[in-house]
Amino acid sequence: MIEELDGKTMTDMKEYRGSIHQRQKDLMLAWYEQLDQAASTGSPASVSMMISGNCVELLEGFGAVPLYPEINALQLAIRHQSLDPILAAEDLGYAADNCAYVKADIGCILKGITPTGGKLPTPTLILCNFVGCNTYLKWFEHLAKLQQAPLYVIDVPFMRTNEPSRSDLEYVVKQLQETVRKLEQLTGARFDYDRFREAVACSSRTEELWSRIKHLARRSPSPFDAYFDAITLMGPLYVYRARPEGVEFFEAALAELQAKADAHKGIYEQENFRVVMEGPPPYPYFRTFRDMFAKWQACAVASTYSTVGGLWEFGFRHDPDHPFESVAMHMIAQNVTNRNFLQRYDQIRQYVEEWNADGLIIHFVKSCRLFSAGQGDMRDYFTKQLGIPTLYIESDLEDPRYFAEAQTKNRIDAFFETLEHSKTAAIRSGAREEK
Amino acid sequence: MRIAAGVDVGSTQTKAVVMSDNGGVKVLARALVDTGANVQRAAERAFDACCQKAGVQSGDVGFVVGTGYGRYKIAFGNTQMTEITCHAKGASFLCPGTRTVIDMGGQDSKAISVGATGEVLDFVMNDKCAAGTGRFLANSAEVMGISLDEVGPLSLRARHPVKIATVCTVFVESDILSYLAQGKTGEDILGGVHIAIAKRTLSLARRLNIEPEITMTGGVARNVGMVRALEEVLGRKMLVSPDAQFVGAVGAALFALEKLDQSFESGIWREGHAVPGGH
Repeated sequence: MIEELDGKTMTDMKEYRGSIHQRQKDLMLAWYEQLDQAASTGSPASVSMMISGNCVELLEGFGAVPLYPEINALQLAIRHQSLDPILAAEDLGYAADNCAYVKADIGCILKGITPTGGKLPTPTLILCNFVGCNTYLKWFEHLAKLQQAPLYVIDVPFMRTNEPSRSDLEYVVKQLQETVRKLEQLTGARFDYDRFREAVACSSRTEELWSRIKHLARRSPSPFDAYFDAITLMGPLYVYRARPEGVEFFEAALAELQAKADAHKGIYEQENFRVVMEGPPPYPYFRTFRDMFAKWQACAVASTYSTVGGLWEFGFRHDPDHPFESVAMHMIAQNVTNRNFLQRYDQIRQYVEEWNADGLIIHFVKSCRLFSAGQGDMRDYFTKQLGIPTLYIESDLEDPRYFAEAQTKNRIDAFFETLEHSKTAAIRSGAREEK
Repeated sequence: MRIAAGVDVGSTQTKAVVMSDNGGVKVLARALVDTGANVQRAAERAFDACCQKAGVQSGDVGFVVGTGYGRYKIAFGNTQMTEITCHAKGASFLCPGTRTVIDMGGQDSKAISVGATGEVLDFVMNDKCAAGTGRFLANSAEVMGISLDEVGPLSLRARHPVKIATVCTVFVESDILSYLAQGKTGEDILGGVHIAIAKRTLSLARRLNIEPEITMTGGVARNVGMVRALEEVLGRKMLVSPDAQFVGAVGAALFALEKLDQSFESGIWREGHAVPGGH
């Protein structure tokens, strides 16, 4: 997200580098500075959370800052520094097929590594806000032990049907209120309900802007890549969406991307292919991976990964008139990881149809059973039931040992060769019919 | 007369084919060399040998398409394409009516759904595991102390094929040693090895809609035992060209010929598609 790599690649030529890129960097560095300050002075309070369905709005009621172990882990991977901490965790006894995010994060704590080289605070509270995957629970239990910090688990019911039940919502709301009491005890400060409501209102505005940005990708050409570029925007979304800085950032991003869209500027001179991406990227080979798509002038117009922290492009917004309930709704029903697989199928189908995509790319993550289990069936569904060209590739989001460059490139090249052929055949057949 | 070539640099062997369209599209010559460590040199050796056999100068070859894992190392190639696209094209040419390709090479196995004009409709490949590939057979041959050419014919003589539980190319060696220690015959062990690979390949191919005609390509197609084992698990006959090992190179050469034929408006050559001269 704030990485700066040496060496020019094809991606350097294609990557969107508007003024928001610098703003994003500044925002994320300011966040790390706040965390550094918290580590030195004990203020502000900090809360470790999961990205999936994070309740950053609640923290604003205490002026607390979020700590996201997943962001720390991916920052290391994108800088090619994840293997050492992974090996450190394996030395401790973690198995080869454990979640590599967990291992990288635990290894960092063992070795005292931080993404910026600055300090990270011992969290005031470790808040396990998502338990759809029991790895998260174990991860945070181990963090609590290593960091000697209190752990509180919010048990978020998995989506068994299309809508959460009334009791699901009440169950999570009660736990959020317990979290508030817990944080009051830990910080010695009173929860500022008005500030919480303002934060929820801020989130609602940010979400509207973010949603409008994502809908710009329906244009042809799309003014940005809704996978690779969206990742750049996801940091501010998770850290700042409940603050005025977040609203300002996304206002600027929307204005910039809207101007590009209005000028019919895409990310390539010619947008040859439009694809939907499922699954997180292989962060240790982020640019190499992006280059494989840039070579074909293929633009991702939508991605499920960019909805891990929240699913807003289909209309959901936090609601300042019902702040606790809307936070609970977001945690249960409005982030892709807590939704069931049929809902994910439907989300992808909508992307392909409404964002006018040529095909689907599924990136299977070896060390993430939660996100990846069932993706073989998903491929079958999209190819056999819906007739949507689908490519299935495997590597990992954090562990560089699972990435086979030649194999991955071969599959991607073959996929686009196939798409190219069918596109041209369709054009020729259309031309024949016209004659 | 247009002359074009396809060079398929595989993990184990490098194949070159020279083709012309004089009096119908046909293969003029083929050549095969071990890839070894110097990929670029292997491609040159195969291409030179092929030109010599065809009785043409390398300068007479109007266009060269490289394919296979080493395709970007072919310095003299005009462009590159994946072996998936080339196998579909080559199989359709050599075995008309092909709708499914099962390709077994040294480290890869893949299944391809093919359209009426030799275009790829869908494909699946093995991932980071050499089970179901030629390497599995090579390791089995090595541990039994016989040559790779012998394993197929020997497997046909199996009377009670053993069950090979593992799909791991490394651990299969200990399975084989264990059966040898139990006094099982080499034929029965090899029969079991071939069935294990065939089942593994079938489970891969089942991810596609397997439709006839099914054509087997790649170096392993020369193994009669593997062809029979696959036909047994598939429950139907496959087409196997005598040029099975050269199918990728043939496909590449066909694309190269199309490139030379300016009147042919092939999709693959649409502006901005192929990346000339390396990557």
